[in-house]
Amino acid sequence: MTVLQNLPRKKTEPVQSSMVIAGARPHDDQTEALAASIFRDFKSDFRYKEYVLGCINCGECTTGCPAARFYNFSPREMLQIAYQDDPLVLLDAMQEKIWACCQCYTCNMRCRFGNDIAGIISVMRELAVKNGLESAKEVLKPYSRILLVVMTKGTQVSPDMIQPDFFADWGPFAVARQTDIKTLRKAIPVDVLQVTDSSWEVSMQTSLELFQIYKEAGVVDMLKSIDPDLVEMIEDIVDEWREEFEEMKEKYGIGV
Amino acid sequence: MLNADQIRDVLSERANARIYSDKKVHDVREEMWNLHEKGELVVIPIEQKNKPIEVETLFGWKKKIPTDYLWHHKSCGQCGNIPGYPSSLLWFMNQFKTNYLNEPHQTSCTAWNYHGSGTSNPIALAAVAVRNWYRAYETGTFPLIHCGTSFGDYKEMRKLLVENKEVRDKVRDIMHHMGKELVIPEEIVHYSEWVHVKRKEMASMVKMKMDGITATVHEPCHYYKMVPEDAVYEKDTNGGQRPAPPTAVVQALGAKVADYSTWYDCCGFGFRHILTEREFSRSFATLRKIKPMVEEAHADVAITTDTGCVTTLDKSQWIGKSHGMDYMLPVLSDVQFAALAAGAHPYKIVQIHWHSSPTDKLLEKMGFDVAFYKKDFSNYIEELQKGKEPEMLYKPHDEMEKYFAVNKGHVIMDN
Repeated sequence: MTVLQNLPRKKTEPVQSSMVIAGARPHDDQTEALAASIFRDFKSDFRYKEYVLGCINCGECTTGCPAARFYNFSPREMLQIAYQDDPLVLLDAMQEKIWACCQCYTCNMRCRFGNDIAGIISVMRELAVKNGLESAKEVLKPYSRILLVVMTKGTQVSPDMIQPDFFADWGPFAVARQTDIKTLRKAIPVDVLQVTDSSWEVSMQTSLELFQIYKEAGVVDMLKSIDPDLVEMIEDIVDEWREEFEEMKEKYGIGV
Repeated sequence: MLNADQIRDVLSERANARIYSDKKVHDVREEMWNLHEKGELVVIPIEQKNKPIEVETLFGWKKKIPTDYLWHHKSCGQCGNIPGYPSSLLWFMNQFKTNYLNEPHQTSCTAWNYHGSGTSNPIALAAVAVRNWYRAYETGTFPLIHCGTSFGDYKEMRKLLVENKEVRDKVRDIMHHMGKELVIPEEIVHYSEWVHVKRKEMASMVKMKMDGITATVHEPCHYYKMVPEDAVYEKDTNGGQRPAPPTAVVQALGAKVADYSTWYDCCGFGFRHILTEREFSRSFATLRKIKPMVEEAHADVAITTDTGCVTTLDKSQWIGKSHGMDYMLPVLSDVQFAALAAGAHPYKIVQIHWHSSPTDKLLEKMGFDVAFYKKDFSNYIEELQKGKEPEMLYKPHDEMEKYFAVNKGHVIMDN
């Protein structure tokens, strides 16, 4: 028995669609249907019950939030949106605000309820991608090379991504070394790091197993909503690798 | 003012009996072993050959840090743009005659994608984790996680696999389709914890001048905020109020650790932000981290223990000159700093030329003949360009390992 037992618990009755959260946009029937569908998936996700536990609007989360200092973003607001039952407000937050979060987990550590605010924002992002929301497409536009590498090699940043015209703000040292990146990579005394198109050399077996995971876990289908051309390209690459892999098995006399 | 013991008691009480919600913090490792007994999963044990050293975590729970027969779970960001980070670690392991595997049969945790862009899901993340862990398991080694995010993500995946039967069953199915088992390591261990427990041995190797060096520490969020109860704390370091690594390491090496007001802040990395919204990352890093480190603490160097933090704090500084913020504070990982202290080659081993913020002043203060090492490295580059074989920290993998993970059970550095 504690003194705080009388705090408001989670709402059980749905409330009318409201404009409580500033910035909600006009909507039509199609938008309402999409919002309702996302809302159902959101509330029924197994993580929801574990991540959203309650909120007294203390704002501890926002006080420590790096994104809140520079964006129109507040983890407190995100949690309130997750907590209430308003599909349109949820959809509206998914159009822009969720992408500001740094996923640093400072809010989680500060939250006295033990809410996983960064986690629930990840669930929102995942649903934005799955439902092919424009915000997700926009955010991921400059990300296609990274997605290609992560889907095929399972690594993210490759040395040859740091191109001078795109990373000029990193200064002359970051840019100058691009002049002979192959030799500089060769000068790293670790064999698997002596590549330029991936963080490290990833064996073909590993890449194929990774793609099998993505396929079976539904990530490939999820990405089709965002960038079907990219998925087609990835599938072509993987098909070619499968053929080469079979050839290599014969060459080396290996039954993997 | 509470002492370290009292603070730990307060934290434990708060975690064990959260009064605002029903969420309790419990040790997931107990249930993990129960599931192992029931045959639901296989725990990769820390054995005698791993030469474990025991440490304490936030609530005083015990954690075993294996120090031998290790499987390097590399970091995509480190290997991609801070290669001196892993090479310094491998260099130390060679000095200590540690047995290890550093393989091409690893993927990243892929959590960068999940946290950065939402382009993954819990099943995929958990299966990726288990596939990597299994590779360590089948080679008789224990995974050592280089990246802070992978470290945090893998602890989340461990919890998920232990607590959620549906996820566990699905991931086990995927593993079976690949001829693998559902395995979970007995502990999820960050490389900085290995460095932490080896710090006295590292300190005994110090050759350079360290007593005049002032360092500031940036504690990576994903090391201690994602799963707070598993981070290493010591009563004698930071008053038990902040994680012990890397402060204890820096102090053991003989440098001074200076405090600054924004120690708790994130670095501003933000996953996607560091690549496609850098105006945010560099503003936050410069204003909230680098500025106080220089103006309040008068630091010679910033030390941290994660990929994104080194990248963000290091790369974000140069553009600050356009706003009159010419700080140019060197940023290194703990293990790079330790390697330098032990006299490792700043360019061949510590690969310091990949960093954007200039390090010459720091190297000079530590007693390095910078011109000599620069010339030496420049000569080495010329030799490589002429076709000389590169110097290596271990025997390179066979050609066939570009395709197949075939060296099961064979540890490259087996002594």
